[in-house]
Amino acid sequence: MESRVLKPILGVYVAAFLLFLYGPFVVLTIISFQQGPEGGPQFPIIEWSTYWYKHIFGLTPPSRIAPLPVGEALFRSLVLAFMTMVTSTVLGVMAAQAFRKRFKGASFVFYLIVLGMMVPGVLTGLGTSLLANNIIGIERHWYTTAFATHVAYTFPFAFLVMLAILNRFDASVEEAAWSLGVSPWMTFRKITFPLIFPGVLSAMLFAFTLSLDEFPRTLFASGRDQTLPLAIYGTFSVEIHPNIFAFGVLTTLFSFALLSVYGILMALSVRRAKKMAMQEDIV
Amino acid sequence: MSDATASVPRKDNTTRWLLLPGIIWMALFLVTPILMIVYVSFWTQTTFNISSDPTLASWKQFFSSDTYIGSLWTTIRIWLIVLATTFIVGYPTALFVGLLVKSKTLSTVLLVICVIPFWTSFLIRVLAWRPMLGKEGAINIILLKVGIIQQPIEVLLFTELSVIIGMTQIYCVFMVGPIAFMLARIDRNIIEAARDLGAGFGRIFWKIIFPLSLPGVVVGAIFVSVMVLGEFATSGALSGRKVNLLGNIIVTQVGSLKWAMASVVGVILTVVMGIVIAGFLRIVDLKREL
Repeated sequence: MESRVLKPILGVYVAAFLLFLYGPFVVLTIISFQQGPEGGPQFPIIEWSTYWYKHIFGLTPPSRIAPLPVGEALFRSLVLAFMTMVTSTVLGVMAAQAFRKRFKGASFVFYLIVLGMMVPGVLTGLGTSLLANNIIGIERHWYTTAFATHVAYTFPFAFLVMLAILNRFDASVEEAAWSLGVSPWMTFRKITFPLIFPGVLSAMLFAFTLSLDEFPRTLFASGRDQTLPLAIYGTFSVEIHPNIFAFGVLTTLFSFALLSVYGILMALSVRRAKKMAMQEDIV
Repeated sequence: MSDATASVPRKDNTTRWLLLPGIIWMALFLVTPILMIVYVSFWTQTTFNISSDPTLASWKQFFSSDTYIGSLWTTIRIWLIVLATTFIVGYPTALFVGLLVKSKTLSTVLLVICVIPFWTSFLIRVLAWRPMLGKEGAINIILLKVGIIQQPIEVLLFTELSVIIGMTQIYCVFMVGPIAFMLARIDRNIIEAARDLGAGFGRIFWKIIFPLSLPGVVVGAIFVSVMVLGEFATSGALSGRKVNLLGNIIVTQVGSLKWAMASVVGVILTVVMGIVIAGFLRIVDLKREL
């Protein structure tokens, strides 16, 4: 009846929505193939070329346009994202594991952790810088102060992901292990962890991607050496060239690769779990 | 079976030790920095330095300046508008993805498609709106070609409108996700029953679907609010420095080493944020919805 009319209308609406969502990315991709070095970041395309891609890797003859200062920044960002990923996933798994039991003040601790994703980055960045400058008296670096703010942001995500996984977790297998006299730590390593591993992977993915692209938290807290988003931000104030768009296309492809790795790991872990279940059936 | 936990000898300390590292981290690197902002907002600012002598000077300066007060109102206005636009743009999409699409695979695929743009760096996504909205941008070119307009629209870029368009596109997915999630959880039998009893779609929507999707709307609204209220990059890049949000003021103040003033604005932003989130959390219990 109505839904027969409604569904096609909403279908068209969703198509328009996706166009809105993808429009900028399409334009960005088109302009990244602008002719260089004269062509600017706007239409019309003077001539199709891969000049700006070569420009990123320093493969073009020197021109008045400086290459993007992304080399070292990319390295720093990857290291920072990795450190953040490991720390926040460990913290997240531990905290979520604790939440499986009822305890006093659970609600308070829950909101304390979740607060990390609610406070705007510009505030944590500002506060941490003030603290480092005026109270502790240390220099700000991407691997100290910025790292601290990044984990304070990604830890809540890891925690919530793990909480959602452990909520659906069947505790009877653990209880079986305990009643057989296996130590709690061994039970966690051999039983719980393999079972929650897909969740751990998701938590890691969340933490890594959030940290890699994190900008406001890093702006004040990272000090002299820039991370990738800061290097990109640096081009805001100066003139924009299509090389930034070419770089955007490349990073997107990189994310695709990263997600494919995640997908493969996920599929492998699911398959292994299935295999184990089948072996148990045979035994 | 269910008493098995009781028979297992486990020290009660485990919970404490599992929680302690996380709590310490958040206390040191989240709560202390915010308290620090409050503290520094009362410090004395000289041209290039700050000292810890308490003063209300920065606060007085904030409340006597039209620029600062204006940025507070701009922030609240932009936040309300973007909240509305993300909801208007996002709800029908969520309705389609979460409720109307029958196949689970298709709705998952649609959600993944919505998330893919996030794999491009946030700042580059913001920048991409410039060649989109400019005088010779994609939108103007298309509209001119189709013949809807004769003159290029110039208000599209470097205005408040461009900030709103940019933010809507960047944040609308945070609205779609939670709403679609809640809609997918609705028991289809309830809708069937209502239909069998003769209720039209409009009535079913307002009496059943919308109320049940409300927690999703609130969670989405929290996400969008948190991000929009703390924004400064989109407004900086797309408004040509015409739209100054509280975040922009903080960045400029820090840039000129006015830490005390930046802290005052930070406290104001914290208070606004606190009121908004507390308001939303009154409507829905976040912990229970998980």
